[in-house]
Amino acid sequence: MVAINIEKRTFRDFDWLLAILAIGIVCFGVTQIYNAQPEMTTWQKQIGGLFIALIAMLIVSFTDYRRFVDSAPLFYGIGLFLLIIVLIPGIGTKINGQRCWIDLGFIRFQPSEFVKIPVVLMLAKYFGNRKIGVLKFKEIGIGIAILAAPIALILLEPDAGQAITYFPLLIVVLFLSSIKIRWVLLTIVAAIIFTPILFWVGVETGKIKQYQLQRIYVIIDPESADPKGFGYHTIQSMISVGKGGLTGSVGETELSQSSLKFLPEPQTDFIFAVTAENTGFIGCVSLLLAYALLLSRLVAGARESSDRTGVIVIMAITGELAFQIFMNMGMVLGFLPVIGVPLPLMSAGLSAILSTFIAIGFVISVRMRRFVN
Amino acid sequence: MKLADYSQNLGVRVSTIQVFAFLLLAALGVRLYYLQVVRGEYFSDKAENQRIRVIRVPAPRGAIFDRNGKLLVDSRSTYNITLTREPIKGINPVERIDVYADGLGLDRQYLTELLTWIKKQPEFETAVIKKTASIEDITWVEAHQLEYPELRVELQPQRVYPLGTSMAHVLGYVGEISPKQLLTPEFEKFRAGDIIGKGGLEQYYDETLRGSAGYRRVVVDSRGRVIDEIESVPPQAGQDLYTTIDLDLQVAAEEQLANSSTKRGTIIAMDPNNGEILAMASAPTFDPNAFVLHSSTPEGRKQINEYQNNANRPLLNRAIQGRYPPGSTWKIPMSVSGFQQDLITEENNSILCGGGITIGAKHTRCMGNHGMAPLRYAITKSCDGYYYRLGIKMGIDGLTKMVEEFGYDKPSGIDLPNEKTPRTPKYFRAAKEKAYGRWIDIESVFASIGQVTVEATPISMLRAVSSVASNGKLYVPHLLKEFKAMGAVGIKGELNYLPEKAAFGFQHPEPKEIKMTEKQHQIIVDGMKGAVAGGTAKKAAIGGFVIAGKTGTAQVAALGLDKGKNKDHAWFVSFAPADKPEIAIIGLIENSGFGGDNAAPAVRGVYQAYIAKRGLVGLDTQTLAVK
Repeated sequence: MVAINIEKRTFRDFDWLLAILAIGIVCFGVTQIYNAQPEMTTWQKQIGGLFIALIAMLIVSFTDYRRFVDSAPLFYGIGLFLLIIVLIPGIGTKINGQRCWIDLGFIRFQPSEFVKIPVVLMLAKYFGNRKIGVLKFKEIGIGIAILAAPIALILLEPDAGQAITYFPLLIVVLFLSSIKIRWVLLTIVAAIIFTPILFWVGVETGKIKQYQLQRIYVIIDPESADPKGFGYHTIQSMISVGKGGLTGSVGETELSQSSLKFLPEPQTDFIFAVTAENTGFIGCVSLLLAYALLLSRLVAGARESSDRTGVIVIMAITGELAFQIFMNMGMVLGFLPVIGVPLPLMSAGLSAILSTFIAIGFVISVRMRRFVN
Repeated sequence: MKLADYSQNLGVRVSTIQVFAFLLLAALGVRLYYLQVVRGEYFSDKAENQRIRVIRVPAPRGAIFDRNGKLLVDSRSTYNITLTREPIKGINPVERIDVYADGLGLDRQYLTELLTWIKKQPEFETAVIKKTASIEDITWVEAHQLEYPELRVELQPQRVYPLGTSMAHVLGYVGEISPKQLLTPEFEKFRAGDIIGKGGLEQYYDETLRGSAGYRRVVVDSRGRVIDEIESVPPQAGQDLYTTIDLDLQVAAEEQLANSSTKRGTIIAMDPNNGEILAMASAPTFDPNAFVLHSSTPEGRKQINEYQNNANRPLLNRAIQGRYPPGSTWKIPMSVSGFQQDLITEENNSILCGGGITIGAKHTRCMGNHGMAPLRYAITKSCDGYYYRLGIKMGIDGLTKMVEEFGYDKPSGIDLPNEKTPRTPKYFRAAKEKAYGRWIDIESVFASIGQVTVEATPISMLRAVSSVASNGKLYVPHLLKEFKAMGAVGIKGELNYLPEKAAFGFQHPEPKEIKMTEKQHQIIVDGMKGAVAGGTAKKAAIGGFVIAGKTGTAQVAALGLDKGKNKDHAWFVSFAPADKPEIAIIGLIENSGFGGDNAAPAVRGVYQAYIAKRGLVGLDTQTLAVK
């Protein structure tokens, strides 16, 4: 069903810059994974993951994205099915209290990473064909419904970190689908007013649990929060970042924060702390610029898209990546709560790298079909 | 711009998203600048000043009690001074000998060894430099924290043996694992400085007594001071051990040995109906506290040295590690095997004494001339001539069969480490046959009265004779009565959860069946009763309490040379009440002379302690009822 038809023109239209940028970030990530765990094979696995991801990206990019969008309900159904079976003990593997992995023996994958793609396709299918005009409440309701099913299942795992990364998909799609600016402004104003009120009510009624409260207090004042408990990870992460200074402390792996086990999960959620310690401000800003370039490239693809569906696919992916980068780095830099969001293209993990490259494959696919046939 | 085709402001909205994304990245950049450039130095200092250290929390070792719940061994809290390599990795630790020796009152020789060892260890290695530190030591270490950050004070449960030298061989002692042990697979998971059982019950049941250590993961600053605790896993204490020992009998046995002529020997009391050891004394003895408390002080090391080099070998548990010719006590298993091998029968068990036997030109004499002696009489009078002839009839094959029947070719299986296997004709057969071309009769003659090719452990003799008391059941002697249960530690399902440890007792193997008829049994018991009533063991008799016994006087040197240091070993093995045995006791006094004069009275003393506890009245009626 997936016809790959490579012509000269396809090569010319293939977004080489985007692909090379993504591969470059992954390679940089591999060196940092090695720094984090020099004695383990994690970094080698990541290289293997990159090759698998590249193949997946090529398949997706040489296939017309509209075919995928047409079959969106099928993919969406498969996605929900995976999210359901991962909850069944015996199929889903429990790690650190979260049942979010399916272990096939030779490989272990995380459905919640992949289901973002069917959700994007489903949103694109519905909102890509809508008539011009102001967004109706019914349409907003359908958008919310598409998002609600996977989020509810992911919260059952429970994996709040993954669930949160689904929100920007809908927000971006609604924003692009001509939601009235006054609604956007109203939401922002409401959030500013109600968040502190809800927080106060939550604390007073005990709905916000003590550990959740601790995580929030840590951000407000990490130095005086309980440094042994919830503040520990945040403080150690900030120390690692700060220690990097301007140029980083290369060559001191024996004394690094991560190899002395001050950092939890240095190869995944805290990979940016390792990067900051090793490469310093210069390395970190370079990485930020690389991400900025990558995001710009995605947006450029959206601008050249031949149809509205393509715009929605690309911009949802863009919004999601930007949001993940912000959440992860915000946590490492100690101003967002410690929540399990991987850093796209940098964190070790086959599921994350594969789903990101599949998403990039879609972007390339859209871009290659920018000229209406 | 194609976007214009769909909605007049789609392009603007895309741009808005892009700008928003860039703003987020810019915010991250600003934060990075603040953390790395503005406050970089501050965080570098913080990183420099923290290290993670794992502090072990040792598990309190299980206590040991006697069968009635009297405390034999306990642990108390003390403080150790430890030395960590890491803070002084830049210097040769040997340079600090004078500092430590003066500050903590330590032996220089000991420090040289310790510091030379730690010099070769990895950075985070820690060694105990002084045990049971005094208040002065602790103050000194605390006061010099800045100069000598390598020293620390650690809480350590300390083993205490309140009875001192009493029961030392049974209890054993604990000590630091030796560097040699650390290299063996059995101790793979151990670290230098870990405390393990060494000898006795402490060693045999080490794993159960030890429990599981917990640990604390802490953040320490560059001076080694704990600033934070990251994780704390509590230890699970070891299980309490109840032994089969009756402390009153034990003390009585030890007193008897202390009052004996040479003060060297052993007394063991056992319940013949199940193999429970009621008392096990060995003299001379030692103080286990010396090993635990003083191994780092000059006096303590001197004391241990003395124990190890003393010609009387106080560290030897004579009950299970001493091998002696059993002399005439050997005649009891000989008698049983005589019946089993059909050499004597219930009706016809008389053999000529002849005042001895002449083989070739050599005459081996009996102590008297007992004529044509029946077995009962031969046991009562300890007639050698009778057994010379029985031994020749048995020959080496018969003797080997007897050795195997009573398990003399194996250790008894008692729950103590390093038990010795007796040496018997079976063991010496090959060597003797090589020397003479065949097994010659004179060897059977000597072996028949437990000499020359017989070297038995006292426990093996007691076990064999107890099998007569229990009508043919050869039990495995043991000291474990029960290990008490220990509760679970931690939360179920968590990684560090330690489940509850159930109570358990000694895992009795099926006793071996020694075949003998009721009549055969009665003949042997009657002979032993006679020995105490009016035979060789008169000095063991107690009015109203019928003891069945057999003396032994084992030759150490040839006749005429058996004086002073080379005097005979005195044996007495027995059980009582003779017709319904509750207790079997063996006594051995080294180089003290005649068994009836030296060992029998010592064993009698233990019986008296037993009667004092149990009461004579009940016994009297019981013995009468059986009759």
